[in-house]
Amino acid sequence: MPEIETFYDVMRRQGITRRSFMKYCSLTAAALGLGPSFVPRIAHAMETKPRTPVIWVHGLECTCCSESFIRSAHPLAKDVVLSMISLDYDDTLMAAAGHQAEAALQDTIDRYKGNYILAVEGNPPLNEDGMFCIVGGKPFVEQLRHAAEHAKAIISWGACASYGCVQAAAPNPTRATPVHKVITDKPIIKVPGCPPIAEVMTGVITYMLTFDRLPELDRQGRPAMFYSQRIHDKCYRRPHFDAGQFVEQWDDEYARKGYCLYKMGCKGPTTYNACSTIRWNEGVSFPIQSGHGCIGCSEDGFWDQGGFYDRLTKVNAFGIEANADKIGATAAGVLGAGIALHVAASALKSAQKKTEDNKTKEEA
Amino acid sequence: MSGTRLVVGPFNRVEGDLEVHLTLSGGRVARAEVNAPLYRGFERMLRGRPPSDALTLTPRICGICSISQSAAAAQALAAAGAHRPAPQGALVTALIHAVENAADHLTHFNLFFMPDFARPAYAAHPWHARAVARFTAMEGAAPREVLEARAALMHVLGLLAGKWPHTLAIQPGGVTRSPSARDKVRILSSLRAFRQYLERTLFGAPLEAFIALDSPAALQGWDTGDAGLFMEIAADLDLDALGRGAGRYLSFGAYALTEGHGFAAGLWNGAPAPLELSGLVEDTAHSWMLGGPAHPASGHTEPDEDMRDGAYSWCKAPRLNGLPFETGALARQVIDGHPLARALAGGGVLARVAARLLELARTQVLMEDLTAQIMPSSRFMAPAPDLRDGAGAGLVEAARGALGHWVRVEEGRIASYQIIAPTTWNFSPRDGAGTPGPLETALEGTPADEGATLAVQHIVRSFDPCMVCTVH
Repeated sequence: MPEIETFYDVMRRQGITRRSFMKYCSLTAAALGLGPSFVPRIAHAMETKPRTPVIWVHGLECTCCSESFIRSAHPLAKDVVLSMISLDYDDTLMAAAGHQAEAALQDTIDRYKGNYILAVEGNPPLNEDGMFCIVGGKPFVEQLRHAAEHAKAIISWGACASYGCVQAAAPNPTRATPVHKVITDKPIIKVPGCPPIAEVMTGVITYMLTFDRLPELDRQGRPAMFYSQRIHDKCYRRPHFDAGQFVEQWDDEYARKGYCLYKMGCKGPTTYNACSTIRWNEGVSFPIQSGHGCIGCSEDGFWDQGGFYDRLTKVNAFGIEANADKIGATAAGVLGAGIALHVAASALKSAQKKTEDNKTKEEA
Repeated sequence: MSGTRLVVGPFNRVEGDLEVHLTLSGGRVARAEVNAPLYRGFERMLRGRPPSDALTLTPRICGICSISQSAAAAQALAAAGAHRPAPQGALVTALIHAVENAADHLTHFNLFFMPDFARPAYAAHPWHARAVARFTAMEGAAPREVLEARAALMHVLGLLAGKWPHTLAIQPGGVTRSPSARDKVRILSSLRAFRQYLERTLFGAPLEAFIALDSPAALQGWDTGDAGLFMEIAADLDLDALGRGAGRYLSFGAYALTEGHGFAAGLWNGAPAPLELSGLVEDTAHSWMLGGPAHPASGHTEPDEDMRDGAYSWCKAPRLNGLPFETGALARQVIDGHPLARALAGGGVLARVAARLLELARTQVLMEDLTAQIMPSSRFMAPAPDLRDGAGAGLVEAARGALGHWVRVEEGRIASYQIIAPTTWNFSPRDGAGTPGPLETALEGTPADEGATLAVQHIVRSFDPCMVCTVH
């Protein structure tokens, strides 16, 4: 393998100060859920290891993952990551064009055989021999197979690559197919979401570079550090859910008070993602904070679950919040009737509370 | 080199996939065929779903202009139910949409368009070293500054819309987020920072000075900021003559407010005309689509899986009264009546890029005005009743031009959904009469040979294509 620069070399060449670099390391450690003692370790890895070559390919998609990626939170994160991975081939961002670009792809594959990470945005359509997505005169599925053959690992960016996403929505006109159903002999890390949160994307890559291994994955193949908790678990509106206080209609007085959006169809209780902790657009907000429920875009099949504004209903019943948490911690997607019940229960609780308050007043 | 066939593509730094087939003759493009090689079938997926699904599905056609799709879907559903959004809701929708369009213009100029001038082929030109320092893809100084300024501007989207891309806040009745007085202050401060970036870096002077330009000569004299560098390059390479259009423009009107559009709707064909869409058809003569020409309200999208000979693109060919129209920032600014844009009408690469810069400056002013009008105590949503039956159109302006959604709802389900995106207009294939689309026309006569297609690249990018929207 040829000599490759370290991340740190590249960053310094780009004029990033050591102070900013260290700040990035601590922010990343925090985002990854690692203690301060890991900061020097991340810094050391970035200073000494050669940067990892990455090939970034696009299938059927909307480019929202790239858009998210280049907007990561810490102003430096995108610089750092763009420098630490040598984005050797990415047709949205790179300089080369046309056949020169195709040559760059082949060159990267040849040079870093067995050592590069293949990042896939979008997915291949398989109907009509893949003719619904043509890259360089050939079906995308061929480019994908070719690039995957010598990859060390594959990152499936977003809901498209991980699960199919909206272009796989019934009747799935082009037979859009997630990456893991086409490439079956490589480690695949799914980073779902439509798009994934920028910090999650940079965090996954930083982890792989720092520790030289794949992050711990959950049963669905998602990095556990970002996808082990439900939106609901850390939602700032959670106290209103627990208190049985719900928005009944858009922009009603309860909406203004920031009540829970469960009745407006929020899928936060069944969605595993980091939106309610890391948030979006540099930590400014996330969908629930904008007054709209979560649509569960990081969950498999979110596009075909009935209306996006339907209340969660199905699934096993359980009575009270303590149980909800226990169930939530062990199994995904097991909610619904339970919640409906809980709504009733908490409404009851608040009614009781009121009665008690009144009683207290009367007594006083 | 007579009759040489040449394929240019895949294009990088373009949203989605694109191929251009050129027939060269005497060192020039004799014929161009534009192919959109990506098809997903959104219109088919939408059939049979609850109408509100369009609000979640259609934005996912495109990760760059998702808010445009979202706004068009909300407007189409509102129209189908004869519903009107709360005025303040329309105002906030306009603001959210303007932020996305401004961010898109900025991205296009810095990340997609200008990097081509840093290519070694231009090494002998006096401006080349500066273009390299500023715009080399992923290395130049400008992309880093742009990404930072853009991310900061998008705090406004975070605040008002929860997340970007693929915002959910825009609804037929308005927006789900009621901004508080504190939000208003935060938005104003984000906008102030963005103005500073524009004035310090992109224009190198007050925005109002650029907006006041009223003639190509005045524009040519602009010599500050990255805009000044572009003007220097444009003069040296005669970008005004490169890729000239037919001068026929269409705008659906940007930012529907209660008192009218932020930038006017209309047509231009040497003179202004009102927007009238009864003569609109999507022609499929050279598209791999089945079914004859049809108005989008009654049209359908059925791919020709045989990919028959004679056709060459998944893209349909929208025509208004039998004619192709160019759409985008230049079209909007011409139709809105800005004197500089009117003087640039019919122009090529320079006109399109300059109009985009002009619009970026004017949009900043518009966003400041809209924010000032936010009244935190008012209603931001007039909830729309469930839509059982009805038909309507949502007509908006994405950064790249006119975007239309046509929906028909029967018994509470979507019976038909048709979308015409900006690049569908601009990059359409030939129609039944053999009339080429706007890009195909603009490419004819362009100097090109097998080793050198830079001029072709400039022309293609001057339209700011969004291929994932084109065929959806």
